[in-house]
Amino acid sequence: MTPFRSTPDGYVARWEAVERHVLARVARDVAELVRAESGVGPDVEAGAGIAFTGVGRVPHDPAVQRLLPDAHKEDPDVAADFRHLTQTDLAAAKIARLEAFADALDPAQAASRVLDGELDEQDWAEDAQVVVARDDAQAFAGALTDVRIVLAERLGLDDDDAVEQLHDEVIAGVAGDELDETDDVDGTDDAGDPTAVDGEQRRYWGGVFVAAGFAQESLVDEMLADLRARRG
Amino acid sequence: MLSTLADAGTATEEETRTDAQTDTVPGLADPWVTIVWNDPVNLMSYVSYVFESYFGYPPAKARKLMLQVHHDGRAVVSSGPRERMEVDVQAMHGYGLWATLQQSGQGAAAGAGGAEGGAA
Repeated sequence: MTPFRSTPDGYVARWEAVERHVLARVARDVAELVRAESGVGPDVEAGAGIAFTGVGRVPHDPAVQRLLPDAHKEDPDVAADFRHLTQTDLAAAKIARLEAFADALDPAQAASRVLDGELDEQDWAEDAQVVVARDDAQAFAGALTDVRIVLAERLGLDDDDAVEQLHDEVIAGVAGDELDETDDVDGTDDAGDPTAVDGEQRRYWGGVFVAAGFAQESLVDEMLADLRARRG
Repeated sequence: MLSTLADAGTATEEETRTDAQTDTVPGLADPWVTIVWNDPVNLMSYVSYVFESYFGYPPAKARKLMLQVHHDGRAVVSSGPRERMEVDVQAMHGYGLWATLQQSGQGAAAGAGGAEGGAA
């Protein structure tokens, strides 16, 4: 994975097939999780810009509670009203951008087919570039945020020290241990599993969390530079 | 004042929003605030980006608020009528930041709100 760089076409990075596949997959899992937890039904087309009037029930899953949080600390009535009015719109927007993120990374599941041996990597190598158009960059960065928030909850990263420690672990272990296509991907396809990860899974998903953070940091740095340049 | 703030919501120029806030008498026309809370996940650069791009704050002010969130655990990032704060809170949730709204003058947030107003 290389850092995003600003180009005339947008923000461009190179990701390996496994990186594209894993991040696309986790984004789709998070989208499904939000859909299931927020009351946005599977029949709703999330990207159509429809004004939803949903039930807005409080999510059970703590990671989704973080994505769709209470809007008032002390007043449950204000929080409930707010949730009732806004949650389905907010959830639908998150689902749409997570799915767009996954499609951008892994169009037609090409990365998955390379990994499964159905498609020669040579034939797909030209697509190894991840190109994020400027108009799509905010949604792309937002999807990375939602993915990182859910992974952080699963990894039990509840303060800065825990995040730092995970970074150290991943960096220390990364030299001889690149992201592999392990059984964990298939064995952990349900991001809605509320059980905390441990051991090998922690190393694996920790690596995904750190990679997502690396991608987001380089993308946002370029977006900030462009924003400031536009505003002079 | 209310209409100025409402208009500022649709403006993209940073000056409009900043002026609207600076001119406001705290606690009178601005009974509500939007508070952003610290979390260990969101990157400092991303939080700065959100404050600069959504609120139109200049980099120095965005950075100051971002650091306040990081070090103090929270910061008041906007103030105004309740409806306006609801829009801001929803937007922050869209970005993946944890934000709440609160009536200005309730509890400890009052001091933070005053400090934020003076920083504009």
